[in-house]
Amino acid sequence: MTTAVVRASRAMRRPARSRALRPWYRNGILVAGIVIVGLLVLVAVFAPLLSPYDPITQDLNHTLEAPGAHHWLGTDKYGRDVLTRLLYGARIDLRVGFLAVLIPFVVGSVLGALAGYFGGWFDAIVMRIVDVFFAFPFYVLVIVLVFVLGAGESSIYLAIAAVSWVSYAKIMRGELLVAKKQDWVVAARLGGMSHARVLMRHIGPNVLSQALIYAMSDIVMDIMAIVTLGYLGLGIAPPTPEWGSMILDGQEFITTQWAQATIPGLAVVLTSLGLSFLGDGLSDLLTPERRR
Amino acid sequence: MLDRFRFVPLRLLQSIPVIFGVTVVVFFMVHLLPGNPALAILGQTATPARVASLSHQLGLDKPLWDQYLLFLGHLVQGNLGTSITYQRPVSELVLQAVPITMSLLLFALVLALVISVPLAAVAASAPGRARDLAVRAFTLVGQGMPQFWVGIMLILLLAVKAKAFPVGGYGESALEHWYYLFLPALTLAIAMCPTIIRSLRASTINVLGSDYVGTARSKGAAGVALFRLHVVRNAAIPTVSIIGVNLGYLVGGSLVIERVFAVPGLGSLMINAIFARDFPTIQAVALVVALFVIVVGILTDVVYTAIDPRVDLGSRELA
Amino acid sequence: MTRSTRLRFTGIAAVATVALAACGGAAGSRASGSSAPVDGGDLTIARAQDIISMDKTTTFDNNSIYVMEQIMEPLFTVSADGTKVEPYLATDYTVSADKLTYTIKLRKGVTFSDGKPLTAADVKFSIDEDTKTGGDGWGFINTAIDQVKAVDDSTVEVKLKYAWAPLLADLSLFSNGIVPNNYGGKTAQEFYQAPVGTGPFVWDRWQKGQYVKVTANKKYWSPKKPHLASVTWTVVPDANTRKLQLQGGQIDVDDTPDWSSFSSMKNAPGINAQTFPSTRMDYISLNQQRQPFQDVHVRRAIAYALDRNAMVKAVLYGNGTPATSLLSPGTPFFDKNAGGATYDVAKAKQELAQSSVPQGFSTSLLIASGNPDQASVAQIMQSELKAIGIDLKITQLDPTANKQARLKSDFDMAMQAWTMDIPDPDEWTSFAVDPAGGSHSSFTYYNNPAVIALNKQAQTEIDNTKRADLYSQLQKTTSEDAYLTYLYYSPYVFAMTDKVKGFAVTPLGNYHLEDVYKAK
Repeated sequence: MTTAVVRASRAMRRPARSRALRPWYRNGILVAGIVIVGLLVLVAVFAPLLSPYDPITQDLNHTLEAPGAHHWLGTDKYGRDVLTRLLYGARIDLRVGFLAVLIPFVVGSVLGALAGYFGGWFDAIVMRIVDVFFAFPFYVLVIVLVFVLGAGESSIYLAIAAVSWVSYAKIMRGELLVAKKQDWVVAARLGGMSHARVLMRHIGPNVLSQALIYAMSDIVMDIMAIVTLGYLGLGIAPPTPEWGSMILDGQEFITTQWAQATIPGLAVVLTSLGLSFLGDGLSDLLTPERRR
Repeated sequence: MLDRFRFVPLRLLQSIPVIFGVTVVVFFMVHLLPGNPALAILGQTATPARVASLSHQLGLDKPLWDQYLLFLGHLVQGNLGTSITYQRPVSELVLQAVPITMSLLLFALVLALVISVPLAAVAASAPGRARDLAVRAFTLVGQGMPQFWVGIMLILLLAVKAKAFPVGGYGESALEHWYYLFLPALTLAIAMCPTIIRSLRASTINVLGSDYVGTARSKGAAGVALFRLHVVRNAAIPTVSIIGVNLGYLVGGSLVIERVFAVPGLGSLMINAIFARDFPTIQAVALVVALFVIVVGILTDVVYTAIDPRVDLGSRELA
Repeated sequence: MTRSTRLRFTGIAAVATVALAACGGAAGSRASGSSAPVDGGDLTIARAQDIISMDKTTTFDNNSIYVMEQIMEPLFTVSADGTKVEPYLATDYTVSADKLTYTIKLRKGVTFSDGKPLTAADVKFSIDEDTKTGGDGWGFINTAIDQVKAVDDSTVEVKLKYAWAPLLADLSLFSNGIVPNNYGGKTAQEFYQAPVGTGPFVWDRWQKGQYVKVTANKKYWSPKKPHLASVTWTVVPDANTRKLQLQGGQIDVDDTPDWSSFSSMKNAPGINAQTFPSTRMDYISLNQQRQPFQDVHVRRAIAYALDRNAMVKAVLYGNGTPATSLLSPGTPFFDKNAGGATYDVAKAKQELAQSSVPQGFSTSLLIASGNPDQASVAQIMQSELKAIGIDLKITQLDPTANKQARLKSDFDMAMQAWTMDIPDPDEWTSFAVDPAGGSHSSFTYYNNPAVIALNKQAQTEIDNTKRADLYSQLQKTTSEDAYLTYLYYSPYVFAMTDKVKGFAVTPLGNYHLEDVYKAK
């Protein structure tokens, strides 16, 4: 399986084309990504300024109102403004998405790098563990783990970390295997540099870019996971506005008020679109020689 | 020729420790679940005393380590254990659910290919042009849609509004099964398409730009014939790996989708078993799914080797 | 456990005997359809969960119980209004002067679906099988029974260890349903794979996780019944999917739609969304082992702070009533003047001011994840308690983990619900107020000696008027103590196509499908 994934990730990279290195702002996809993600972050940060309503306070006299002048997207079954909850939802989903990537990124990258660099029994053990975890589909492990840990934000971080560190480990190990044979690395070692210094100074910065690019698509996957858990009722506890649980709540009224389940889904699509652009753009920027 | 497949026995051998590791993870993870089956079985009248008594009767108060060895011992004999909820062999439950999930996956794969191949060909035939951009936009949007949400939207549009398909369930006859599985399969296919299209598009462009296609062109092969003969086979190679990797992810996705569409497959079995704390059943499903992923991994490499005469995985892995 | 269950049924005695006297010996008919019933057709009922087992002696799961009740029938049954016991496979009985021997006459002409006639030996075997399971099954129900004897083919004698008036109610439980002697030569496990009984329907097949199907018993003892050719229960976990299936005609009955679906289906053409009175009460347990819930002022403040009418409106879409007592209106001896708190923010603030935490405090509420009703209640409570200075955090655990936390009293506040299995308050009150009941007073560690004494007295009091008075006192004191926060009473809900006729549910939750038919 190791080989299949490495091959797969290589195959995803586009063939080299004769495009000269350009400054980042000329990279359309990257700019589009920055704009979309930037806007979402701004919405998340300034949500209280953008809406006159509170996302949690209920108004049981004005439940399930149709979209109108006061409530542009209507109200939910507790009389809360749907648009407001959508804006505040960006806070939760973006934050959890970004934070969820951190632990697996660090743990996976470090383990993968060490395994690739030192090889031998350490490599063998780490890679067997990776194989074991890799044998479980993402959702199977995440769902069982969230049941084990109980619903809530910290469980989501832990469950996602436990599952997705393996991808980083694989990517970093692959990169390290190539990098450690490069002339300058060999030279540095021969020059008496310690393993730690070689790893930190010479190899790290050069091989991290692949993991970074992967992290962008991983955030998308994590946001999907958070939304899905929210939909299964295993996510962030109510009444915190979260897109997945908004879809769950809205699904009840799908025949009468279809927008309630549709709009939060579109918000997810927009977010992942922005992040995908960002990832693609970064990949162009960081690895021009492998540009698709 | 057959020499190139000598990696298969080695890979099978290598998967033994992995499977062993999988049993450890599955068993201990499942037994970390808060609560036990006795709680689920005894309804509202459960009291600590009654739960303790039933737990004892079910053998759930034995040391975890003993329970693991028992589980492993049974497993070696091909026995998946007995469902605590149903008091029936777990294998019976699993064997009933496996074909359903497999049909769903296969159906989804076929639909995904039916959608992806033409789209990728269209996109690759004119890189950078409008139709290419349209296809790429589709893949990006497709990638960003939560699967269950796609399912809900399909139900809304095709089942509720258009009334073309049932809302969920599995039907009774074989024909009904496929009819009922269409929407969930389409949902999964939509999740699968973006990666397949991206990969196919990239590799097709790659192949079209390569020397031998140029040679073939200069020899007079053109249009569809060229596409079929040279491009498809070569462009398909990386896509095979992508599909292989994705199938594993899809099994996980089908877990959620089966719930949305009330499909009685492995996913539904597992979620119900989790709620009931039916440990043997959860273990069995997780194990079967993990085995499936491992087997698909090996099969992917076999297919890969078969269609690409240059690949020799054995030599590389043994080196 | 034995002690409390033994006491559990004392109260039902009077009710049961009165009811029997009133009913004479006729089989109860429940049909509510007006025009002539139509024979044939399949009834498809969609439910969130599959059945688990057909073993009547060890299954606690309602979904399974409602199916097995169509196949295996007991000697007596609960009346349509859920408060009385009526003869069923029995027609008549006599009690000896010392009240220790019941002689029961069996209905004539009853055969099992395999054609063999029902005899006293079958009855003896069936009841003995249940008794044998003891505390691990429903056997505790039969604790008072010394032995069952087959006098002749159509007469059974039940000897008791001590005078035990609720015997007939016990015998009406599904766990004492009648199966063939020796399971017709099979092992128990084999038998319950495809159970045989005298009921209106015959076991057909079970595709686990998909559906379970029963077909009409052609040899059913009640003439012209059942009307339906078959009944199929399908498993559809998602409430929304069930609703859409019902609207699309894919199913006939949606068992327990969620409240929003239910209210939207009330006015839908071709759909009959019906409520049936239940004995359900939803309430909050306040854990007195945690601060500051041993303070009665805190508990009262919470009780006053909740607008139950708003909850009924927002959560149940108006299909329920605010709870005002420890007992539900469908339970015998319910006192409508029990004095449960009603919404009054001023009083809530006043109570809190008198308490040990006048400035308010932070606490948490445990609910089951994936339960939209509980999530709704929790969110409403959160905003209402905030108004009096209580900061409420919502904790979600999946149902089994949630139950585990409650059993360990590992919570501050927990949302729970109770429905009665038998028509007598004692099953619930012993669970709810007596720490000896095994549940630490519904896991609250509430311990009021006066209330415990009232409950014990009521268990042994045969006189109905006196008993009513005792239960009144009990309800009033528990309301004053506000040790549980009563939320609301809600009915059972079913949505069905308007072709389904004669479908009715007793307050204890069971239904008799032999009366149901599908109009053309």
